[in-house]
Amino acid sequence: MSEPTDNELMLCVKAGNLDKMSLLFSRHHRSLYNFLYHMTHDKQASEDMVQNVFYRMLKYRNTYTGKGQFATWMFHLGRNILKDEFKKQKRTGNYEGLEEVSEKISGGILADEQLGKKQAQHKLYRAMEKLNEEEREILVLNKFQELKYHEIAQILNTNEGAVKVRIHRAFNQLKSIYLKMESYEV
Amino acid sequence: MKCDKERVTHWLNNQLIDDERQEFEAHLAKCTACQQEVKEAREVLNMLKQIQVPEPSADMEVRFQGMLDAYKQSVVKNDNAWKNFISRLQQLWSFQPKQQLGYSIVLVILGITVGHLFFNKSPKDNSKEQIAALSSKVEDMRQVMTLSLLENPSASERLRAVSYTEEITNINAQIIDALLRTLNEDPNVNVRLVTLEALIKYSDQPRVREELIRSIANQESPLVQSALADIMIRLQEKRSVEEFRHLLKNTGADNPVKPKIEKTITQLSL
Repeated sequence: MSEPTDNELMLCVKAGNLDKMSLLFSRHHRSLYNFLYHMTHDKQASEDMVQNVFYRMLKYRNTYTGKGQFATWMFHLGRNILKDEFKKQKRTGNYEGLEEVSEKISGGILADEQLGKKQAQHKLYRAMEKLNEEEREILVLNKFQELKYHEIAQILNTNEGAVKVRIHRAFNQLKSIYLKMESYEV
Repeated sequence: MKCDKERVTHWLNNQLIDDERQEFEAHLAKCTACQQEVKEAREVLNMLKQIQVPEPSADMEVRFQGMLDAYKQSVVKNDNAWKNFISRLQQLWSFQPKQQLGYSIVLVILGITVGHLFFNKSPKDNSKEQIAALSSKVEDMRQVMTLSLLENPSASERLRAVSYTEEITNINAQIIDALLRTLNEDPNVNVRLVTLEALIKYSDQPRVREELIRSIANQESPLVQSALADIMIRLQEKRSVEEFRHLLKNTGADNPVKPKIEKTITQLSL
């Protein structure tokens, strides 16, 4: 017998077999965590949000229709939780992500070559943070989650044409920010 | 084909459909600007891919399992509460077999129908009686009020009393007496005129007619005299001629209605 699909598992959960959620968690929590991490650059917050997303899936399992893909639904919920989180951060004004990065860079002695690479990465990392939330989100879904345009469109509640335009704009923005930073340093 | 930066992005994303892709790739082979664009974009993309995401904590799955177990328990509790409630309802139902229930429903319907048939008329009659009783009471009250208001020192109140009599359907002798007394004795000319108007309605009663004729001698106001003359002509009351003659004898030469009274006498004597 072949492995049950995400959709089948989630419909089982909807029908009352809550244990099937464990399987869905082990399949998808990492990709959700990656998405959230790229959006926040905060490990602890991302882990908490992953738990939160899966909790919401259990609680609102009755709203799952099984029409779209399970992952789409998951990212959709992830986005909502992320929005709440950003609102909270704007109120309290703390952003731990950046500190974590600099710690990682300064921590440990790195070989020159390795250091150069790290610095370039760090620049890109900062360039990502300079994007607005929408641009960052669409790039993360596109580049890190490697989702197809029509899948992204579903998650963002929009059409494929709009996704195309926005991805191009966001990527161009990232590139120009990154190249500008590069030229300042040289 | 022109250079199109957007195509570069979508090409790198592997999201160009066959025709578009072939067209673009043909263009790319010749265009150095686009090659440069692709190079830069690839550089950024490669760098992006290398951004490291810290490993999530190892206990994530454990934490999830804990959350799931807690959630399951809360659901079971809710479920039990609901099931208990339903089964209790079902127990209540089991005490009333369907036959008995049907029987009692039929009885209730029967009762309502029979009751409706038997007592349908009585409430209407009853209400009619009540309304009649009520309106007669209102009438009584009006009569009492009229009587007491006619004694009021204020002329406007007495006027009101007279106007009340128009609303009384079954006028009694007491009211007629009071009106006649007002006609003869009231100090206010207006009240007397209105009273006269009110009394015309009852001129078919012989007693009222007689009293009106007798009243001619009592009236000193030319206005009332004139009004009485009009009424007598309307009623064709020949018995009043004597009274008018008497009035003419007693009244002075300066009475403005003197010609009218003379005319009335000749009209009635015809």
